[in-house]
This record gives sequence, structure tokens and C-alpha cells, in this order.
Amino acid sequence: MSDYQKTIGIEVHVELKTKEKLFSPSLNLYGNLANSNCNIIDLGYPGVLPILNYEAVSLAIRAATVLNCKIRKKQHFDRKNYFYPDNPKNFQITEERTPIGYDGYVEIDDDGVKKKIEILEMHIEEDTCKSIHSKEQTLLDFNRAGVPLVEIVTKPCMHTSREATLYLEKLRELLLYANVSDCKIEEGSMRCDANISISKDNNLGTKIEIKNIGSITNVGLAIDYEAKRQEEILLKGETLREETRRYDAKLDKTILMRVKETGNDYRYFPEPDIPYIILSDEEIKKVQSEIPVLAHIRRNRYLESGISLLNANKLIANKELSDYLEGLDINLKTASNLLLGDISAYLNKKNMSIFDSKLTKDKFIDLVQKLDKGEISNKNFKDILTDFMERDIDLDSLLKEKGIENVVDNKVVLELINKVLNENTKVVNDYLEGNPRSLKFLMGQVMKESHGSVNPKIANDLLIKTLEERK
Amino acid sequence: MSNYLDLNIKEIHELLVSGKIKPIDLVNESFRKIDNNKLNAFITLDLEGAKKRAMELGEVEVPQDNLLFGIPIAIKDNIMVDGLRCTCASHMLENFISIYDASVIELIKNAGMIIIGKTNMDEFAMGSTSETSYFKTPINPFNKDKVPGGSSGGSAVSVAAGLTPLALGSDTGGSIRQPASFNGIVGMKPTYGRVSRFGLVAFASSLDQIGPMTRTVYENALLLNIISKKDFKDMTSFETNEDFTRLIGKDIKDMKIAIPNYFVSDVVESKVLEVFEKNVATLKKFGCQVDYVSVNHIDKAPILYQIIAMGEASSNLARFDGIRYGLSLKEDTLEDLYKKTRSAGFGREVKRRIMVGSYILSGENAKIYYNKALEIRDDLKKSFEKIFEDYDLVIGPTSSRTAYDVGLNNDDPLRSFMDDILVMHANMGGFPAISVPMGLIDNLPIGMQIMGKGMDEAKIYQLASFIEKELGGKHE
Repeated sequence: MSDYQKTIGIEVHVELKTKEKLFSPSLNLYGNLANSNCNIIDLGYPGVLPILNYEAVSLAIRAATVLNCKIRKKQHFDRKNYFYPDNPKNFQITEERTPIGYDGYVEIDDDGVKKKIEILEMHIEEDTCKSIHSKEQTLLDFNRAGVPLVEIVTKPCMHTSREATLYLEKLRELLLYANVSDCKIEEGSMRCDANISISKDNNLGTKIEIKNIGSITNVGLAIDYEAKRQEEILLKGETLREETRRYDAKLDKTILMRVKETGNDYRYFPEPDIPYIILSDEEIKKVQSEIPVLAHIRRNRYLESGISLLNANKLIANKELSDYLEGLDINLKTASNLLLGDISAYLNKKNMSIFDSKLTKDKFIDLVQKLDKGEISNKNFKDILTDFMERDIDLDSLLKEKGIENVVDNKVVLELINKVLNENTKVVNDYLEGNPRSLKFLMGQVMKESHGSVNPKIANDLLIKTLEERK
Repeated sequence: MSNYLDLNIKEIHELLVSGKIKPIDLVNESFRKIDNNKLNAFITLDLEGAKKRAMELGEVEVPQDNLLFGIPIAIKDNIMVDGLRCTCASHMLENFISIYDASVIELIKNAGMIIIGKTNMDEFAMGSTSETSYFKTPINPFNKDKVPGGSSGGSAVSVAAGLTPLALGSDTGGSIRQPASFNGIVGMKPTYGRVSRFGLVAFASSLDQIGPMTRTVYENALLLNIISKKDFKDMTSFETNEDFTRLIGKDIKDMKIAIPNYFVSDVVESKVLEVFEKNVATLKKFGCQVDYVSVNHIDKAPILYQIIAMGEASSNLARFDGIRYGLSLKEDTLEDLYKKTRSAGFGREVKRRIMVGSYILSGENAKIYYNKALEIRDDLKKSFEKIFEDYDLVIGPTSSRTAYDVGLNNDDPLRSFMDDILVMHANMGGFPAISVPMGLIDNLPIGMQIMGKGMDEAKIYQLASFIEKELGGKHE
């Protein structure tokens, strides 16, 4: 056990999922042809002015709310002045002095131990454009220039890499479910920087910043590597200096980018082209009332309806499926088995969103209800899955078309059961002597005999009844 | 040789309506005068575009209610006109062609005015003589040895010399009103937010405002009618829909007028004060109540201006970096590209202001200077608002002296700010203010400034039209 204690603070930039950019009507889209979503405002042309996109302010209010932040009602933007080619105006519009959210927290659960990770502040700012370095050249893609971001800054209040990763996972889940952002680290819509220092006492050590770490797992690895590196330096009797480093996942090492210069001077001043934003209580409440049901609430509801923790977490991890389930008044357990089973398999194979399939909510409700009532079997559903997902056809019509008619006539089923029982007298005796496994075998035989066409629930009920009569 | 452009707008309009002349006649006359006069009023002329537009307009019926239809107009070269060069009188943008219209230009075009060209100015509007232009200095039509004033010097010269009846200027600390005063024309800086700044190359965003420069008060109000409109592209613009000519010619009896003591103190040359006092006497004679008042912080305007305008300018001009547009001097390293491009692209005065502005915003200085200046600016604004509680308008001379010799200010950068000590308050408070000719001194014109409370342009025009009718130019 090391004598040194780590202290960690995390800064996260999250791209807001607005239709348009923060200060221009250009579309906020990822993955389009370079420089296809930019206009004279994004390019910082002479004479242009920023036009604030209030959708971004709304999403920032949402974010601040789910991060339990206080919301500042009067804000202004500031200019952060620095020269760099990815910064078209050579100043970035941000909220230096009046961040929209402050004094918040995110609660994490570390194996049953709950801890509040304190959020210092959260502010709105515009993204820079993307530099693409190729050989001798640097190319600029302005599609990202002016995309709205919120930057979320924690206090230096974490002490293990596990706390840091739990915080990031929770943060991601909160923002994703509040529909604030896609939070895709691989696409850059969520970017994590970690500040780490180590110390033997209550005074904080020298802060090292690790920029833009590529995944949440890597944040943990980077912190552990960096803390070890710092400790080795201190044990050698050397001192640390403030640095910015990056984490190389292949080498599992942090690498020096630059030594922090003292007095970095951004010449902040209030942005004169944007009037103060004044938020009323009504506006804030209205925005808050539109926040979708968050993950932890959904998870609890899944567990209460008998879904296993594993499956509940699978649904939460697949937000689209969870969203699909929202508002449906059906047996969630049956529904979740369907969604996570055959339907997911189909969607994954087709690389398709459930919302793009022909599985309307009405069709899905009908399906779940018929399965619950035993009017069709899982096997039946497997047989019609592809058509059901791809065609505008309701369940009854499709079953009819495929000639699938469940044998629901008790007399016919009973005949089958008696046939099976007569052919398997030994097993029947086992059952009667109290071996429950025999029932499963007999049921299998009934299904086999019927080529899967009998309703399993009806068959099972009848089988037990018939066996009981033979006692 | 026709001289239709010497007629007033109403007379020109009647000729157009009656079909006796066509817009092309006005355009041809304008270009002929520009050629003959050689006043360096323009940096870029759009002969082809203006003629084409005039021919198009000649095909349609002249709208009876649109007095500005078919009238040639000159645009200061820091306002974007699609397809035309927009140089800001700088080497940095010497070959920069605009790819969009400023919002005011859309309004100008929709109203059927014909853009003749882009006028000369101080580089990036920084100066008060137009001498910091990268191009040849425009010439004062009253006396070629005198400066035309600035920064909207070219626009003022164009109107004063009759090259175009109308022009647009921009005013950050007097840049419309001071050259209007030096050239004997009418120049209005409207209320901040009255006219959209979208497409105006920013100098100091919280002070900049586009405004009309014309021969008469009435024509000035007509042009403001066209260019004032709330614009979703400028968040500082406001809802505006009024006829600014509505009070012109109305009786000024019982109007309450304040003259700040500072505006008639020894910062103003005595000859200017003499002319001004004659005007004041007439105002009293016609029933105005005129009082001398003291205004808190009024003498601090030049200092506030330097801090705020230069601070904002240092940031606004950062975008000229040689990467996306404008002058670009390729170098091996990024830093060298920046250094070389900006060293060569900007003139001496612009560089000086960028450096002072950067210094003012640096580290602790931001608190000591910039934030402090914003506080005092707010106090200054309140001091004037308090005056406006008791008075309709505030008046004074526009400038402390008439146009002076070319080259006089060259060695002393501070001196040029002193030109604007009487006009910066309107920018600090966002108030509307006009300069209207009030007389001649040694054959050089001098203007009276009339300032009103926010949104009170109509009342300013009312008094200005009185000055114009009863007094302007009528003194020996």
C-alpha cells in the first residue's frame, strides 16, 4: 500500500444534441463530408455575429438538472482569446464568469457504498474545428466548429481510479438518458480530461492533466499509471512540475505534451455581441418537465417487474430498446425477453434500429399479450420473426398467411398427451413417485409430437392435470 | 451635362416618377462626378454592377411612395456587399471579396437604391482623419489641404461633393458625426441596436453602429427609415418600426435643451464656441428652454473609449490571421505565419491599438482597466439618462475645431482621440446623436451635435431640421 493518496478531478466536454450549432444555423451533425456543415459564421468571416441557439441553453439546463446543479438565472458569455488555427475567430465564446450550472453532484455506488462526486461548475461553450494532420499538412474541418458543448468540472474529490470511472459511467448514463448528448467517446461527443496529483498529507500535490482520454476504462488505467509514475519520481527525491500529458493505450503510458506555462493569458472579457441570458423560473421548470425518465428509475421499474438485474442492465445499456419500452403497459418481463433475445439478434444482424423496423408498438403489444395468454408460442414467433419485423402486417394476418394455427383445442392436445404418456410409462411412474424432472421430459415429448404447434402453456397445464388424475 | 444629383431627393423622385429621367442617368452622373473630382472618396467602384442595376430598375414602374428608389448610394468599405471587395482600407483585406450582403445592404437593395461603390476610410475605422487608410487619403472638398475627418471620411466626401446624395458610415466613437461636421453634411449615429451590425466588420462591437450620411436632415431620416429593422442575425438589434421624418418641421417651442458645461469649456476652440452660442441664442429666441448642466464622468469618455474600444478591437481583429482569407504570407511555422501576415497586413495605427487593447485585457489589467472602464461607462450612461429625465435633448458642438491640416496628427496618436471628445458619449451610452451643419468658420463647416435619449431619433431630427432651416450655413 502506497503512502501517497491520489487526488483526482475530472473535466468532461460533452457535445449537446441540438439540431443546429451554438451560434449559427449550420447543422450539428457528425460524420458528414468535411466542411459540408459550415457557413460564414462558423468560419469566422469578417462582419458576422453569433446568434444564440436557445435549444442549447435548454439542453444545458437539462444537464445541470440531472447533475443536481444550481442553475444561474442571469448569465453572459465571455470571449476566451487565443490564436490557433482550429479556433476560427481566434477567440472562443464560453461562459467563464457565469457558468449556467454550479454546486452539483453525481452519486456513485461503489459496491454498495454511495458517494457524491461534487460538480464545481458546468458551462456552455462552442467547439473548435477539427484539425487533421496529414504528412506536412494540417487540414481543417469546420463541421465541428461552433457545435455546442457543456464542460463539466468536478472538484478534486476523487481518490481512486475506480471512483473516477464510476463517476464517468454514471455521468454518461445521466446525460444520455436526459437526451442531452449521444456521449460517444469514440466520435468525440464526450471527451474526458483527468487531473491527478498525489500527496502524503492534506496538501494537494502538483497537478498533472491528462487530456482527451479515449475511453472510460482508459481513464482508470491512465490515472493508475500516472499516479505510479508520479510516486516513482517523488521517491527518487525529484520534484514534479505542472504538465499536460496524454495517455497512450497501446503502451499503457502517459506521454508529455507540454509543460504548463504560468500565467496563461486568455484575456477574457464579456462577449459584447450576445445580450445577457435571463432565465425565468417558469422556463427552467418547463425545460425540467421535459426531461425523459432517467436510467436509475427505469432500472428499478425493470427489477420490480421481475426482470433479472443482468437483463435490466442490458436494457439500460441499450438505450434504444429501453426507450422503445417507455410508456408501454405490458408484461415487461416477457417484453424484455423478446427484445433482448430474438429481436436484438435480428436487429444486430441487420444493423438496424428498432425504430426503423416495422415492429410498431401496437404490433409489439399484441405480440406480448398473445404470448402471455399462451395464444402463440415462442416457436411460432421465431417462425414469423423476419416477416413480422420487415412487413406492415399485423400478427393475426401473418399467422394466418403462414398457416400457423395454434392447436388450442383441448381435445386434440389431450389426445397427444395421452399418446405420449402411454408411450412413456416409466417416466410417468417416475413423475408420480415425485421426480419433477420427468415433467420436463414429457413436456418435451408432447411438443415434439405436435411439431411445436401446440400452445406450450396450455399443453403444460393439461399435462399436469392429466398426470395428477393418474395419481 | 446634367446635374440632377444637385436636386433634393423629392425633386429627383418626381423626375423619376414622371419618366423624365431614368436611374441610369443618375448613375452616369455619379460616375462622371467621381471621375472629375478626384477626391479619393472611393476605394472600389462598381461601375458595371451599378449600371446593370440601374437598367433593371429603369424597366419597372417607380413606386410613388419610395423616395429613395433609383438613388445612388455610397457604402463605407467596412460593410459587406456581396461580390464587391471589402478592404476596410487595409492591406490585410486588399483583395478580399465579400461573399454575402450585410443586413443593411439587403435593405438598401430591396428599397431600390443603387450602390455606386465602397468608400475610403481610416483602416478598420481606426482614426479620425481617414489618413490611416492603406489607400490614398480622401480629400476635403472644402479645402484640399484639410483632412476630411474620419473614419467615415470617404462617405462624407462623397455626399459633400455631390458624388452621391446618400452614404452609409459607421460610428464607434464619432466616425460618422466628426466627418459630417468637417464636410458640412448631416450624419446620424442611431441608437445602439437600431440598425443591424450583421455584415459590418467589427471594430468595437459594443460601440459600433451603422448610420446614414446625407445632405439634408429629411433625407437622413428617410434613409434611417429604410435601414433600421430588427434583425435576427444581430442579437443586439431591437424591434423598430417608426417614421423618423414625422416630427420634422414641427414647432420647437418649449423644447427643453441641455448643454453640458464640458461641451462649451476650453476643450473647444473659441471660434467654434462663438458659432455655437449664436445658434443657442436663436434657439432661445424661438422658445426653447436652454440650460447649462454638469454631467458626471463626462470628461472621462476618451479614456473609457480607448480602453473599451481597443480591448474589443484586439479581439475582433484576431481573426485576420492569414489562414482562411485575406492576406496570407506563408511561412514554415504557424507562429511565423501569424507574425509575418499581421505585421505586413495591418498599418501602424491598427497595430498600435491591437497592442494597447491586448495589454489592457491581459491578466490583472482586465480588472484594473477593462472592468473598471465598464463600470464607469455605466455610470456615465446613467448621468446622461438623468439629464434626459429633465431635458428633451443635449446639444453641443460636434467637434472642437474645424477640419485641420493634413498630416497634423501624424506624430501624436492621442491627438486624434481629442477630436472626438464631444461625440464619444453617445457611443458609451448607446444614445442616438446627429451632427448637423451649424455654420462656417473661415470657409470650413462646423457641425452641431444633438443627442437624445435611447430611441429618440425622431425628436433629434425635429431640432436638427430647425437648425438646418433657420441657421445652418447662414452665419458669416
